[in-house]
Amino acid sequence: MAALLEVEGLSKSFGGLAAVRNVSLSLGPGEILGLIGPNGSGKTTLLNLIAGTLRADAGSIRLNGEDVTRMPNHLRARGRINRTFQIVRVPPNLPAIAAVMAGTLFGGEPVPYKKAAYEAAGIMGELNLLLKADRRLDQLTYIEQKRVELARALATRPRVLLLDEWLSGLGSGELEGSMSVVWSLAAQGIAVILVEHVMTAVRSLCGRVVVMNAGAKIAEGPPAQVLRDPEVIRAYLGDEDA
Amino acid sequence: MRVALAIAALTLLVAALSAAPWFVSDYGLAFLINLMCYVVLTVAWALFSGTTRYVSLATSAFFGVGTYAVAMLIKVMPIYAIFAVALVLGTALSLLVGMVTLRISGMFFVIFGFGLSEMIRELMVWWEINKTHTMGRYVFVPFDNTLIYEHLLALAVLVFLVGYAVRRSRLGLALLVIGDDETVARQVGINVPVVKVAMFVVSSVFMTLVGAVMAPRFGYINPNFAFNPLISFQVVIMAFLGGMQRLWGPVLGVIPLVVLSELLQVQFPYWFSILLGLVFMAIVYVLPRGVTGLVEDGWALLGRRMTLPRGSIGSLVEIVSWLFRPLVPSRGISERLATAWGRLKRRQGA
Repeated sequence: MAALLEVEGLSKSFGGLAAVRNVSLSLGPGEILGLIGPNGSGKTTLLNLIAGTLRADAGSIRLNGEDVTRMPNHLRARGRINRTFQIVRVPPNLPAIAAVMAGTLFGGEPVPYKKAAYEAAGIMGELNLLLKADRRLDQLTYIEQKRVELARALATRPRVLLLDEWLSGLGSGELEGSMSVVWSLAAQGIAVILVEHVMTAVRSLCGRVVVMNAGAKIAEGPPAQVLRDPEVIRAYLGDEDA
Repeated sequence: MRVALAIAALTLLVAALSAAPWFVSDYGLAFLINLMCYVVLTVAWALFSGTTRYVSLATSAFFGVGTYAVAMLIKVMPIYAIFAVALVLGTALSLLVGMVTLRISGMFFVIFGFGLSEMIRELMVWWEINKTHTMGRYVFVPFDNTLIYEHLLALAVLVFLVGYAVRRSRLGLALLVIGDDETVARQVGINVPVVKVAMFVVSSVFMTLVGAVMAPRFGYINPNFAFNPLISFQVVIMAFLGGMQRLWGPVLGVIPLVVLSELLQVQFPYWFSILLGLVFMAIVYVLPRGVTGLVEDGWALLGRRMTLPRGSIGSLVEIVSWLFRPLVPSRGISERLATAWGRLKRRQGA
């Protein structure tokens, strides 16, 4: 499978702290890659680098062969790479549909202003949000907020989607529904990177898992195999338990 | 039909307003000029600051540039040519300021706007004293109060038309999203700096033109008068008082405050500034969350009601949700009767 997203030697430091150290990974269309690791291991920073929320100090990010390492956030969001945030980010004082409309207007396949509402309603409909289109963020339940954010990301027609703990904090019924949403996105050919602590989801969704610890990639492979890796266990549980 | 009616009503209103100079006294006209001046300034201010929530205190800087351009050039150019110069100057200055400052946010932007106005004023004072040796200039042109008023009215119509068009465009939605959350705005592909600078320029050009049109009204102009920071503060207070969730919202703040400052000026000419200051303080204090700071808390208060303009979107959302309402079992009369009946039977059973 030709790689859609290629990340090579990506590094980022905050002052003296190397949050991401020389991380490389690649991802094909329709693939779901799990990104796991203990808290503070640099998963979200890596996501920020790929999405363009932060600029990398070193290394390169290529999408379909196109170098996007220095590309500003908003250009990356246009039909290339989009993301959800660990803490849901949707405009808090606007109706839920506003951000989705903005995505359809400024994203990868911009529609004329008059069509934006229809387009946005369509995207929200697929995620079962149509009746909530006019609600503000604080009038939505937790799972609805997460779905609105996903709709916002999908409205820009991304080829790579970065989900930062999008499945965390859901009830078991909700989790199943959300997992099938992720699955169907991958089936449409979107490459998904899943940062997640919910291991059931990682095991059943991801064909491949990358494990990070202290900013560096320590393991990569199928979930069942990686989770038995002694170094991974040591990263999670400490030396004595390994 | 409703649209046609609204257009007819608005046209009538504008016609009535433009005929006003021939029906009111000189004092009345002076009052109307003052009113119209602040209407344009405040609506233009709200165009940028109301949507992006960057509170700008640079109003007096742009107003002053317009006024002072007329003062300096009136001897060498016809007045309409100076309006064109003011337009160019306003655009250039706002582009420069926009590109430099819109990366800074919050309080810093507020202070910068204030500082900009003061800086240009001091610069002009220095220039006039050291280079031209003329402190204070006279503007005597055949541009009477009626003409000034009609020009301001035209600007008012224009600023409303621009605001109306922006609110129903991609740009308007982009501004709303930027005002609510800039990170999200970038994440949906909006080029945040370009949108902000574009709107800042549009807003500032209106302020510059108002300053230019108002210049003949003053007659005698010096830098301290043209770059009067009070204008900036008044505009902010008026916009906050009127509210910015509707395009015409600021007007509701302009009318009472212009009337009030007029009354104060007539009744207590020596205490005017102090009383106006007290009134401002009262307004700020009355805003429920206005204790820690006017800006932040004013926004929090107004922001709650900040919604998308009810244009095609609002009605579409309504239609869509109406269409899908049958999916939710509605509690009709029959169902209410059934529950009432059930309750009655249960009570009889017990």
